[in-house]
Amino acid sequence: MLWEVRIAYKPGVQDAEGESTLRGLHALGFDKVEEVKTAKVFVIKGDYTREEVEEMCRRLLANPVSQDYTIAEVSVE
Amino acid sequence: MALEFCIFRAPGTNCDAETKHALEYFGCRARVVHINKLISGEVKLSSFDGIVIPGGFSYGDHIRSGAILGKMVGERLKDQLKEFSENGKPILGICNGFQVLVEAGLLPAFRGFSDVPEAALGKNLSNRFEDRWIYLRNDNKGKCVFTRGLEILRMPVNHGEGKLILPQGEEEKLYRQLLENDQVVFRYAKADGTLALGEYPANPNGSFRDIAGICDPRGTILGMMPHPEKAFHRITYPDWTRTGLEGVGDGYWIFKNMVDYAMTLI
Amino acid sequence: MKLLQAKDEDLIRLSRERMLSLSLEEMRRIKEHYTKLGREPTDLELETLAQTWSEHCVHKTFRGIIDYNGEVVDSLFASTVARVTRELNKAWCFSVFKDNAGIVDFDGDLGVAFKVETHNHPSALEPFGGAATGVGGVIRDILGVWGDPIANTDVLCFGPLDYPYEKLPRGTKHPRFIYSYVVAGIGSYGNNMGIPTVNGAILFDEGYVGNPVVYCGTVGLVRKSRYKTRALPGHVALLVGGRTGRDGIHGVTFASAELHEESEETSGSAVQIGDPIMEEKIKRGILKVRDEGLASAITDLGGGGLSSAIGETAEKSDCGCVVHLERVPLKHPRMEPWEIWTSESQERMLICVPQENLERVVDIFRDEEVEATPVGEFIPEKKLYVYYGEELVGELSLDFMFRVPRIRRKATWRDPNLREPRLKEPEDCTPILLSLLGMPNIASKESIIRTYDHEVKAITVLKPLQGAFCDGPGDAAVLKPLYDSWRGIVISNGINPEYGKIDPYHMAASAIDEAVRNNLAVGGRRIALLDNFVWGNPEKPDRLGGLVRAAKACYNVAKAYETPFISGKDSLYNESTLGQVTSTILISALGIIPDVRMSVSMDLKKPGNHVYILGRTYNELGGSHYYKLYGHLGRNVPRVRVSEAKNTFDALTRAIDKGLVKACHDLAEGGLGVAAAEMAFAGDVGLRISLDDAPKEEMRGDAALFSESNSRFLVEVEKGMAEDFEKVMEGCILARVGATTKEKKLVITEGSKVMVRAELSDLREAWQRTLR
Repeated sequence: MLWEVRIAYKPGVQDAEGESTLRGLHALGFDKVEEVKTAKVFVIKGDYTREEVEEMCRRLLANPVSQDYTIAEVSVE
Repeated sequence: MALEFCIFRAPGTNCDAETKHALEYFGCRARVVHINKLISGEVKLSSFDGIVIPGGFSYGDHIRSGAILGKMVGERLKDQLKEFSENGKPILGICNGFQVLVEAGLLPAFRGFSDVPEAALGKNLSNRFEDRWIYLRNDNKGKCVFTRGLEILRMPVNHGEGKLILPQGEEEKLYRQLLENDQVVFRYAKADGTLALGEYPANPNGSFRDIAGICDPRGTILGMMPHPEKAFHRITYPDWTRTGLEGVGDGYWIFKNMVDYAMTLI
Repeated sequence: MKLLQAKDEDLIRLSRERMLSLSLEEMRRIKEHYTKLGREPTDLELETLAQTWSEHCVHKTFRGIIDYNGEVVDSLFASTVARVTRELNKAWCFSVFKDNAGIVDFDGDLGVAFKVETHNHPSALEPFGGAATGVGGVIRDILGVWGDPIANTDVLCFGPLDYPYEKLPRGTKHPRFIYSYVVAGIGSYGNNMGIPTVNGAILFDEGYVGNPVVYCGTVGLVRKSRYKTRALPGHVALLVGGRTGRDGIHGVTFASAELHEESEETSGSAVQIGDPIMEEKIKRGILKVRDEGLASAITDLGGGGLSSAIGETAEKSDCGCVVHLERVPLKHPRMEPWEIWTSESQERMLICVPQENLERVVDIFRDEEVEATPVGEFIPEKKLYVYYGEELVGELSLDFMFRVPRIRRKATWRDPNLREPRLKEPEDCTPILLSLLGMPNIASKESIIRTYDHEVKAITVLKPLQGAFCDGPGDAAVLKPLYDSWRGIVISNGINPEYGKIDPYHMAASAIDEAVRNNLAVGGRRIALLDNFVWGNPEKPDRLGGLVRAAKACYNVAKAYETPFISGKDSLYNESTLGQVTSTILISALGIIPDVRMSVSMDLKKPGNHVYILGRTYNELGGSHYYKLYGHLGRNVPRVRVSEAKNTFDALTRAIDKGLVKACHDLAEGGLGVAAAEMAFAGDVGLRISLDDAPKEEMRGDAALFSESNSRFLVEVEKGMAEDFEKVMEGCILARVGATTKEKKLVITEGSKVMVRAELSDLREAWQRTLR
C-alpha cells in the first residue's frame, strides 16, 4: 500500500511561510498571486488500512490544534 | 544526599551541556540520558528528583518541532511521567523541551496529561529562526514552583517555532482557564516590565497574549521558549561590557528555584 | 579502460568524457605507469588517480612551479604561506598544514583547531544544500582532528541584490535567490547541530554574480593527549555515519573546473543535501571514542570520498590497506565499485580502530543510532587492494598515487594603470556618511545574524551584535569555552576584494591587517592566521599573476606581524559565463585572550570620555567605499606599513590589559567617518571629533574622513585616564581627537568647518535600513 498524507494549516491559522512566499512571488512580479498556502506531504509505504493511517495522523503527523490532514491512496508502481 | 536530575536527550538535542552545568552549579548531580535508554527501561525515571528536557532540534524537528520526541515521551514514558509528576517532582522543558511537553500532552494539561496536543508552538510570525535577548515578566501568582519571587527576567530566545497557539474559537475560553488555574507563567515584556502586547521584537514570535511560558495546573511542570541556561552567568549577557559582571544571570534563579523545591521533597 | 594503446587525443577525450579533469600530461603519466605494469588500469584506479591528483585535493597550482614575470617560484605554498610559519617557528603551533585543520595551543592540555573552507560551486547550483554541506564539511574537518566543534564563522560574497534579471545568463541564479538560500542553509546546519555561528561577513560585488563565494569556518577544542593520527597494520578501517550514495560523485573534479551553462544538469550528482542531525550523532560518538582512547586515527570523508580518506590515512601512517567495498552500506542498491569508492556522500567519517577495541567502538555508535561498518584492514605493504566481493577491482601503489606530477605554469601581472578620480570637494559630508552607512557592504547584517544561533553552548561572551541595543557591529567574537577558566578564544576575519582590483598584493596585505586588528581590538593576541584564496582559472597567466602577488604579501605581512599561518585552502577555477570571480582572499584570525573579562566591545560607553585615533591616515582612497559610492575605483590603494603598525598593535594590547580602553573599533570600510558613527550609535552616546590633530598626510578633509588606511583604531578612554593611556602608548602614532558627549549626535569638524553633524538615530537608521 502507498498512502499520501497531506498536512496543512487549519483555515485561519497563520501560515507564515505561505505569507512570505506570497511576498516573494509578488516581488518577482507575479502580482496576481492572491494567496499561498503551504502543506507537507508524507508518502507512506506499508500494509495499513485507511483507518490506521488516520491514526498515524492523529498520533503523530498532525497537531489537531493547528493542522488538518487529508489521506489519499496512491497506486503502487 | 545530593539531588539527581535527569536531562533527556535525543538525536539533535544540543543544549544538554549548559543545562547540566546549571544544575551542577548547585551541587546537584545531573545525568544526560538518551531517550532510548528510558524507553528500553535501562534507566528509570523514579530514581531522579527532577527532569529537564533541554533545547535543540530533537529528531531534526521533522514533522513539527518537538513532535517525534514528544510522542515518544507522551506515549512510551507516560506512566512513569505520571507517577513522577504525581509525586510532585519538577519537570522543566526549555525551548525544544517546551515543544516536546506540548506535543506530549504534558502541557497545558488542563485536565491532566492529554492524549492529543491541546496547544501548538507554531512558526514565528517573522517566519524565521531568531536569536535575540528579550525580557520576560513573571505573571504567575505563585503556583509555579520554578518562578517564586521572580519579577522581570532577561534571557535569549533562539527558535523558529515558538508562537503559542490555542485551538481556534476556544482561545478566550482556554485563556481564562489558564488564568484561573494560574498556569500562565512568563510573558514577553519590555525592559520596564510592561507587556510587549504582540509588538515585535519585544514579543519575538507573535505568541498569543505574549505568552512565553506556561505550567501545568499543579505548577510543577514548566515549559518556556527562552533559555535560562544561557543567561546563567553575567558573562554571557550581550551587553556585560556596559553593565558589568556583578551578580548572577537571571536564568540562575529558575534553576535555583527548581533545586530548592526538589530539595523540599526529600 | 583502454589506455595502453591510446593516443594523446584519446587521452584528452577520456579525461573529458569521464569528467576526470586530468591534463594530457597527467594522463600520459598514468599511461606510462600502466605500460610498465603491463596492464590496463581499472576504472576505479583511474577515478582514484583523478581524485587524488585533482586541484581540490593536492593544490597543484600552489605546489607547482610558476614562472612569474621571469622569476621562478618553486611552490608558492612553501615559499610564502608555509614559509612564514616555518621561519617564525612558534612553540604554540601544535599542528600546522598537515591535517584537516590547523591546531594551536590553548591552555597546555587543550588545543584550538581552526579550519575555513569554500563551497562555491555547489552553492552556485543549489544554494541551500551547497551552503549547508559547506558548513557540515568544515565541521567534519574539525571532527577529523578529534576536535569538539564549538563555533562557526561564515563569510559570504554575492552579486548585488538589485542585479537586473535581464542581465542574468541562462543557468545563473539571481543573487537575491542565492543570498536567501545560502544564508538559510548556513543557519540551518549550524543551528541544528548546536554550534553557534559567532562571526562572519557578507559582501556584494558584480564579480560574484556568476561565482558566489561561500566560506565556512569552524573552531574546535582538541585534547592534545588524545590527538591520535597514525593507524597501524592490523587496525580496522571503520566507516561511520550516513550511507553511501550516488550523490556527490565527481565533486572534487567538478570543483576543479569552470562552471558553464549546463553545469546544473551535468553536475547534479555533485550537489548534496545535508543531514545535520546525523552529524550531531556522529560528533557525540567520536568524542566518546576519543575520550575513551579507543582509536588510532581519524579523518573525514570529503573530496574523493573513501578513496582519499583511506589513501591519505594509509599514506600518512606509512602502511597500506585492504578494502572490501561490498561491505559499505549503500543508499542506492546498484552502485558500481568505483562509485562507492569515490562517492562524496555527506556525514561520513573514517576511524581507525585496533581489533580489540572494535566491539566497544561499534557499540558507542550504535547507542547514537549511527552505523559503523568495518570496511577494511591496514597492512604493512604500502598498497591499496580494493575488493568488491571476491573480485580485485583496484590495486594501487601509494607511492605512485601520491607522487603527484608537478605542474609548471606561467604567471604575469601588469599594473592596471588606474587613475585617481577627481571628486568635487563636498561642502557637507553628512549626506555622504549616511549613504556610506547604507551601502550593502557596510550596512547592518542584523537580519541575517539573528537567524544564526550565536548563543547555543552559552560560550559566546562577545557577540556579533554589541552595544546599548545589542545591534552594533562587533569587530571579533570572544568565546569562553571552559566553565572553570576565564581564558578565551578570539575569532575575526579580514577581506577586501575591492583592493584586489587595484593590486592583489595590497588586498592580501590589507586583509591580514584587518583580521589582525579586528582581533586586537577586542583584546586578542598570539594570533594565528588562515588563508583562503578564491581565484579564477590558474591556467590563465593573468589570473595566476595576481595570485602570486597576493601570496607574496601573505609572507611579508604575516612574517612582520609574527602571525603564523596554520591552515589554508585555495579554490581556483571560479569562472562562469560571466567571467572570473572577483579575486578574493579571506584571512581568518584566531587569537587568545588570557581573561575574557578584559575584552573590549566597540560601542561607546558613556559621555565625557576621551576619544583617540591610533595610527596614521594616508591619502588612500583607492578601492574605498567613498569612491565606490560614485562609481570609481581609484589607484591609491591602502598599504600596510608593518613597523608602524606593529608598534601600535603591541601598545594597544598593553592598554587593554591595563583596563584603560573602554571601547575600541577598527577603522575599515568607510574609514574614520563610518567607524565613529558605528561606535556612537551602538553605544547611544554622542561623539565630537576634530580632524585637526589626527595624525595624517596632507589631504582634503573628505579624504581624511573616508580614507581606508590600514592599522588604525578609534579608542574611548575614561576621563582621568588620559595620562595613563598616553604613557602606555608612548612612541606610537596617535592623537586625542575628541570626546564622547551627552548630546546624541555625531559631530566631526576640521578647523572651523563642520564636516558632519547628524543625529545618532538618523545614522543608525541609514545603517539598518538597507538589509533589514
